[in-house]
Amino acid sequence: MLQETEHTKLKADDIGRYVLLPGDPGRCEKIAAYFDDPKHIAQNREYNTYTGTLLGEKVSVVSTGIGCPSAAIAVEELIMIGADTFIRIGTSGGMQPEIRTGDVAVVNSAIRDEGTTLHYMPIEFPAIADLDVVLAMREGAKKLGIPYHVGPTQSKDSFFGEIEPDRMPVDSRLNQRWKAWTAGGTICSEMEASTIFILSSIHRKRAGGVMLMGSLFEKTPETPEEFADLKARFDISRPIQVAIEGLKVLIQQDLQNR
Amino acid sequence: MVKSHHLAIEPGDVGRFVILPGDPGRCKVIASHFDNPKKNAENREYVTYTGSILNEPVSVSSTGIGNPSAAIAIEELRAVGADTFIRVGTSGGMQPNQIPGDLAIITGSIRDEGTSKHYLPIEFPAVANIDVVIALREAAETLGYNTHLGISHSKDSYFGQMAPERMPVANFLEERWKAWVQGGAICAEMESAILLSLGAVYRLRVGSITLIAMNQDKPELGISTDTAPAIKTAIKAIELLIQLDRKNEEERMNATRN
Repeated sequence: MLQETEHTKLKADDIGRYVLLPGDPGRCEKIAAYFDDPKHIAQNREYNTYTGTLLGEKVSVVSTGIGCPSAAIAVEELIMIGADTFIRIGTSGGMQPEIRTGDVAVVNSAIRDEGTTLHYMPIEFPAIADLDVVLAMREGAKKLGIPYHVGPTQSKDSFFGEIEPDRMPVDSRLNQRWKAWTAGGTICSEMEASTIFILSSIHRKRAGGVMLMGSLFEKTPETPEEFADLKARFDISRPIQVAIEGLKVLIQQDLQNR
Repeated sequence: MVKSHHLAIEPGDVGRFVILPGDPGRCKVIASHFDNPKKNAENREYVTYTGSILNEPVSVSSTGIGNPSAAIAIEELRAVGADTFIRVGTSGGMQPNQIPGDLAIITGSIRDEGTSKHYLPIEFPAVANIDVVIALREAAETLGYNTHLGISHSKDSYFGQMAPERMPVANFLEERWKAWVQGGAICAEMESAILLSLGAVYRLRVGSITLIAMNQDKPELGISTDTAPAIKTAIKAIELLIQLDRKNEEERMNATRN
């Protein structure tokens, strides 16, 4: 048996089967505060781990760092030590006009606009979330009354290629593809989901994602009131609460089916 | 209004719900599950019948074999008002636990074909609509059929799948087949990738159910040609979707009234 994972520095008993995956290591403590009896387990590089319980079941939060390469390492190592259900959680850009800042994305699939998953699967293979995880997250959002949208995310490798495409040498390609993603109904843009979904398919694990969205269509706030309103809506505790509520739904189902 | 170029249909000819078999010869059998079915068009490989389920107009239109002809069918059906599509067909099982006679409910498709690239870059995932998937799953459970839920391999070459060894690109085909199986793909068929991709482009509700006619890697299990369970499941799923739509409409009306 593996002593300790190479990058995440974890042993088999350190984590639960359920793992929340934010990108930012600095966000783990805030997420773990929603667990019962959270404990800090390990920290190495961008990988920060806490474990606690929900409804008596062991759950963990592990940061992936930014991007699919570091996310793939985290998911691989977590699967090696027994994790089987992954919920990506984080912030993203909202890509449809009807999406308001502060709405939550329940991610059901991902555009593989990145390099990592090609090391695993030919590009034609779809990156898809697990149906039961998607349904549980949707249920979580409904229960809390938080506005949500179900749909695909664009998982990309270049943050500034999305934010400032015009200054890239490949600007026309980036702009043209962005138009296609939007026309295809993509709801948000982030940087890790496709890898989490593809690895979960290969290893027959379950994955999903809940993202906070900042609208790319809403006008920039001008008055202090508008600014305060935007700030109040763009609240990371929204997707965290949805993910925790959704995870409870999933845990209850799993306990019933056991 | 002129009749559409290939299916020879016009507004009023079809309902918003359409069942899509590949085989034009299967339309009559499917239509026999409707109330008052009438054949209203036939041209090339496209045969269309319309009747009703729970007093809601429902149609069946054949797509012919392959994504190119299926794209034409879906485009022309959408243009005359259809917005919910369930493909019913046959497929080859790809996982060891699949036996001929089982059903496959498709959650996503491998885009191993040429047509959908004329709409969306290849990185975009082909995903079924969540409400259609749930309706199909519930219908199959109610009817007591043995069902698998997962990704289909949607390809352009039938014999490239059945007899890859005789193709000049045999290595390429065999290596990719291994990857699809390892990724958990459940069945091989020839129309779902374009159906799910057009669902994304035009915001249609789309899903797919197929009979597992044989198991590619276990020919000794024989062949099943009984498409009745897949057809009955699709019909039942449409009933569930009609009921869901009516419930949502009622809730919307109540909300406006209050």
